Parts: sequence; structure tokens; C-alpha cells
Amino acid sequence: MEKVIFIKYGELSTKKENINFFLNKLKENISFALRGMKVKIDYDLGRMFIHTEDSFDEILSKVTKVFGIHEINVGYLILGNDILEVGEEIKKLLLDYDFRTFKVESKRSNKIIEKTSVELSKEMGAFILKNVPNKKVLVNNPDLVINIEYRVGNTLVYFEKIKGLGGYPVGTLGKGLLMLSGGIDSPVSGFMSIKRGVKIEAVYFESPPHTSREAKDKVIKLARKLAVYNNDIVLHIVNFTDIQEAIYKNIPHEYLITIMRRMMYRISAIIAGRRNCKILINGESIGQVASQTLTSMRAINEVVRIPVIRPLACFDKLDIIDIAKKIDTYETSILPFEDCCTIFVPKHPVINPSIEKCLEYEKLIPYEELIYKSVKEHEIMKIEAEEKNEFAELL
Amino acid sequence: MIYLDYSATTPIGYEVLDTYNRTSKDFFGNPNSLHELGVKAKNLMNSATKQIAEIFNINENEITYTYSATEANNLAILGVALKNHKIGRHIITSKLEHPSVYAICNYLESIGFEVSYVKNDKEGLIDFDDLKSLIRPDTILVSICAVNSEVGIRQPLKMIRQIIKKENPNTLIHSDMTQAVGKVTVNMHDVDLATFSGHKIYGPKGIAVLYKNSSVSLMPILYGSGKVNMLNPGTPAVPLIVALSKAIRLSMSDTEKRERFVERLNQKIVDALSKYEGIMINKTKYSIPHILNISLRNIKAETFLHALEEYEIYLSTNTACASGDFSSSVMAIYNDKVRASSTLRISLSHLTTSDEVNKFIEAFIQIYKKLSGLHE
Repeated sequence: MEKVIFIKYGELSTKKENINFFLNKLKENISFALRGMKVKIDYDLGRMFIHTEDSFDEILSKVTKVFGIHEINVGYLILGNDILEVGEEIKKLLLDYDFRTFKVESKRSNKIIEKTSVELSKEMGAFILKNVPNKKVLVNNPDLVINIEYRVGNTLVYFEKIKGLGGYPVGTLGKGLLMLSGGIDSPVSGFMSIKRGVKIEAVYFESPPHTSREAKDKVIKLARKLAVYNNDIVLHIVNFTDIQEAIYKNIPHEYLITIMRRMMYRISAIIAGRRNCKILINGESIGQVASQTLTSMRAINEVVRIPVIRPLACFDKLDIIDIAKKIDTYETSILPFEDCCTIFVPKHPVINPSIEKCLEYEKLIPYEELIYKSVKEHEIMKIEAEEKNEFAELL
Repeated sequence: MIYLDYSATTPIGYEVLDTYNRTSKDFFGNPNSLHELGVKAKNLMNSATKQIAEIFNINENEITYTYSATEANNLAILGVALKNHKIGRHIITSKLEHPSVYAICNYLESIGFEVSYVKNDKEGLIDFDDLKSLIRPDTILVSICAVNSEVGIRQPLKMIRQIIKKENPNTLIHSDMTQAVGKVTVNMHDVDLATFSGHKIYGPKGIAVLYKNSSVSLMPILYGSGKVNMLNPGTPAVPLIVALSKAIRLSMSDTEKRERFVERLNQKIVDALSKYEGIMINKTKYSIPHILNISLRNIKAETFLHALEEYEIYLSTNTACASGDFSSSVMAIYNDKVRASSTLRISLSHLTTSDEVNKFIEAFIQIYKKLSGLHE
């Protein structure tokens, strides 16, 4: 009998032809999450197994952060499908469990077995009643559910189920570029895209000296939180100062935000193209601020041809905050550092900007040149999920 | 030199001193400054605090740095008293506390608070029944040390917590853990407030910690610009904090192994000294091995201490903090004035060697024979 961690795929199992591509990616992602640990991973179409002698708890806590997993459980693999042999092993396992009532749930993927699942459950139930004293069968809400899967060559037994994150394995859907500010919404948007199998890179706009080093550190910290789910993350840091100052000096203030967003979209689209990202992702939510009215969104979106995915478009702020708290970005997002969207804020930003006016105003600044420069000089950082403490030596 | 006064203070660890020096030199910025130097110092300080929080399984914002454990005790006890005086004015403490706790309690009594002293049994353990009977609806705080500084009695804080919270869930629990941290395992979650200092765990002098559970609020006793922490305003002592964090990390590794080693040294001394009729070993089954208290019949402890000094052997009479002529802890446990009037505290460390202990025993016996002979 071997104690193993095994995984159920959930939504993945709806993939027919290319399921192996998905499973292989999932295996890769799990290996990545468990790098440095001694594990062996193998899989079939129904289950993926992690064999290890390392700490099960540590592996579980890491694997529960991998997308594409419906359930992750600790189970026991017993050689063969013989009911009596399996029963004897279960008897040993039950010594660790304190329970009075139980039920057996059976599944049979080895179709050579003639008995039905119900018959198998009954038989095992009878065996336990006979061999383990003072137990009772209870179908509704028993203390312990004994799950048994009769597979080809072996039998899998497990008692508890841990829910996985669901979604698709990261990277199975290609790459996207997340416009990451220091706020609450964009990290949540990133998380939701990763969940759908998109491997993200992120772009952040800084405006030193108007924005501080701390604001940048905050974004790096947020990116690091996402890196946990994304198998590390590439962060593009674009110096936006010249563009922002040019806009502020030359363009009517009610259009500041609209034009600024258009510039950010343009730069993001260029970086996305260079990095083979197929979509832009951002944290816009309909109606939340002036730049997120439908007219504004149209006027801003108009400058790019790449699809812009807005996972939070129809979410209420409070629901977004809930997710931010769950993925542990909220506390970082609310740190009070100015980012480039909060400096130079006009008193009355235009709510219904017209595209014609945008085009006309943009002629007032040499934006193509400025954009070229900012993209050319932008900083690329690779951020790993595990923060290496730069002070480790002192501590 | 044979140093057997580790419970008074410890020598700073080499690596800890190195951290202190390098931090002072390379991270001198004020963590409250907005510029890069300030931010760098702040990040380092936050990292150090995070490490402490992780070691004790608490939150970073539950840590306040103070100058000394005495200051931390003041902040904890006065802070609770001043914050909650409208709810109640009754405080309970034990007879085995550090003098700073008594000094604060005396002050609180002078401004209208009522202080009860819970009894302990013959082994030094808090009398649970007495504790239970003392707790009232207006009891705002119970302060009981984790390990007594004179006799080393270790209190079962988890049980004490259960008793207190059952009688009055609003009563807060403070524990002076100065003699416990780094020597035996401690659990901050047994209490609402805890104090300990750096210089008892091979850290620098001048830095201590107050742990305050985030659900507890205290009235500050110092006022200033509290950018980092309202309870301790002023420029944080970054080098001390970073060095403290390192000292904590180093002192918390192998605690159990070290404790067993110290236990063997302790037993060796007990075996050697208990042969003499004029020496009483003040040790109960709850004493931690790092602290060994003995009483001398007919010899003044201070005379003995100075005689040992001739051999370059250093230890304490009572405690360094309470060099009165009477050990209140020994009195509280044995209720014997003779026994309490001449006590020596031998405090051991994992740094103590068997050879040092042998030499100490030899010198001790020589002095003992000489001094006790004077009275024959």
C-alpha cells in the first residue's frame, strides 16, 4: 500500500482530442509549484498521482494553488482489486480515524470487474461491519465516507476531499498582458485570467518623481502574489513621466485621463505584440470611474486592435474586494502610495469623451516619439513567487 | 572567567553584533524618511519584524519595540489599566514576579486601582483555586510571568488562561516572558500580552518586545509622532531591531536540545552541593534548568558572591534587579525567612561548559568550607 496525493481534473475532462496537452501542462505546472521537492508525478485520463516521501502538508498547500485541479486528495494505492485484500488494508487505515457511522462509495474504472459499484459498496460495507467493531452504516451524513476506486491494476482508497481552484492549467490558452496598477481591481483581473489558463505578463506605468519607489515596490509585491498562480511572472515597467507631463502641459485637463489611458493602451499593445501576448487584460469595471463609462471605454479602446479582456467588467466593487482578500492582494493594494493614475487628476474629467476630440488633442504632443522611447527603454523584471529576502544575510 | 549569571544578562552573540554593526553602517536612514535610504531602512526593519512574527506565529502589527522589558511591562500593565479603568480597576498578579511588575502595581494602587496577589503552592505553581476565586467582573488584567526570574518556576500559561477566561472572558492576560524566551518553548497565543527582552537571549541591550494581540487596545504611555507604531513613537532603533530579530532566530533553534544539556549541568551542581547541610537547593519540579537557586545557612550571600569573584566566577544574589536582602520568590515558595534571606542564583546557558561547572563546584566548596568554618 502506498500513500499518495492524487488529483481529479474537473472541467478539463470535457476536453476530448487535446486532453493530453492539457494534462501534460498541468503536470508541468505542478512540477513547477513543487520544484525543489522530491516528487514523482504520473497520470492517466482520470487521475494524476504525486508520489513522494516529502511532507504531504507542504505539497498540499502548494498544489492547492495550481489551476486546473478540481479536487486534490490524499489516498492509498493498493495493488490489485481483490475485495478481501483491499478490505484488510482499509481495516488498518481506519485505526487512524475516530468515527461511529460510515458509508462506502465505490467507483469502478476497471470494467473487467463484473460487480456493479453498488454491489461493491455493499460488499465492502459488510466486510467493515464484520471486521471493525462498533460501527454502523449511515447513508445520509455519516462521520466517515470511505471512497474506493477499483482501477486497472490497483485500487485507490481515500477518505477526505479537498477542493482545488478549478479552471484550466496556466499556459494552456497562451499568454496575455495584464495592465497592472497598484489598485484593487487589476490584480483580481489577473488572477481571473490565470484561472482560465492564460499565462500573464504584466505592465506597470510609473512616473518618477511624481510616483515613488514605494509605489513601484507595491506593484512588484502584487505581481509576486500573482506569480504564485502564474508560475512566476514577467513585469514590464514603463517610464511614463515624459508622456504624462506632455499631456498635462498641452491638453485640456478634462481629457487628461482619457488621453492618458489611450497612451497606456497603445504602449501595452506594442509590448503585448513583442511578447507574443494575444490579449490585453485590465481591471476596468463598467461605471466605476469616469474613464470606465461605456463612452469612455469606447474612446479609449479605439486605439488598439488587440482584444481587451475585462474580467471584472460586470462585477460590483464589493465582490471584487472579496476576491482580492481571498488571493491576499487586498492589503497590499490599499497601501497609500500614489500611482500614475492618481497624480494629475482633473477636477472634472470628461464622462462622455469624443473620439474626434481625442484625435485632435493628441496632435498637440509628439506622442508617437514619446511612446517609442518609453517602450524602448522600459525595464523588464522577472518576479518569482517566492520572495528572496534581500536581507537574509543580516537576519 | 566563569560566567554563571546568564539570567541577569547574556553576552551578545558574535553574529548578532555583526548584524548590529552592519545595519548601523549600511542602513542608517530613518525609516520614517520618504527617500530611498529611509525606505531601505524601513524594508529591512519590516523584514526583521516579519521574521520575529513568523517565529512566534503572530502578526507583525502585534509587535511593539521598547527600550527594555521593564518599559514593555509598564506599557502592557499601565496601558491596559488606563484604557479599561472605566470597566474595572482590579488587577491580579503573582508573588513570583519581576520587581518592575510590582513597581507598576504599586503605582496603580496609589491612583485607585486594587491589586490582588494570587497564592502559589509549595512547588511554586499558581494556586488555580485561589486564582479562580480572585477573578471578579471588574478584573481587567492578570499578570503572571512565564518563568520566575529567581527560582525559575515555569507556569502553565495555557491552563491559567483557561481558568481566567472561563471566569471572566474580558479579563486580559499579560505574561512577562523575559526568562522564558530562548530557554523554553513559549506560546504567545496563551496570553493577550507578553514581554521579553533582547539582552537575555544573546542580543543587544536596549531593545525589548511587547507582544499585544491585535484584539487588545492599550492606552499609550508615550506620545510623539507614531508613524511606525502609535505605542512606541519616535525614530525606531533599526540596528537594535534587526540584531534582536537575529538573536531571536538563533536562540529559538534547538531549544529543547539546549535545555537537556543545561539540565545535565544543573543536576551536576545540585548533586555536588546538596551534600552540604548548610546549603539548601531551592528547586521544585517546575524550575527550569537554566536557573538554579540555592540558600546558604549562616553565610551572607553577598560575602559568598564576592569570594567567588576572587576566582573570576560571577553569579547573582537574589536577582540583579532586586538586590535587596530578601528573596521574595523564595519566601513565596518556602515561606522560610532564613531560607529567603541568603540566596544565590546560578544561571546557566548552553554556552556553559562542563569544565566551567566543575571548576565552579570546586571553588564553591572551597569557599563554603572556609566561610562556614568561621561560625563553628
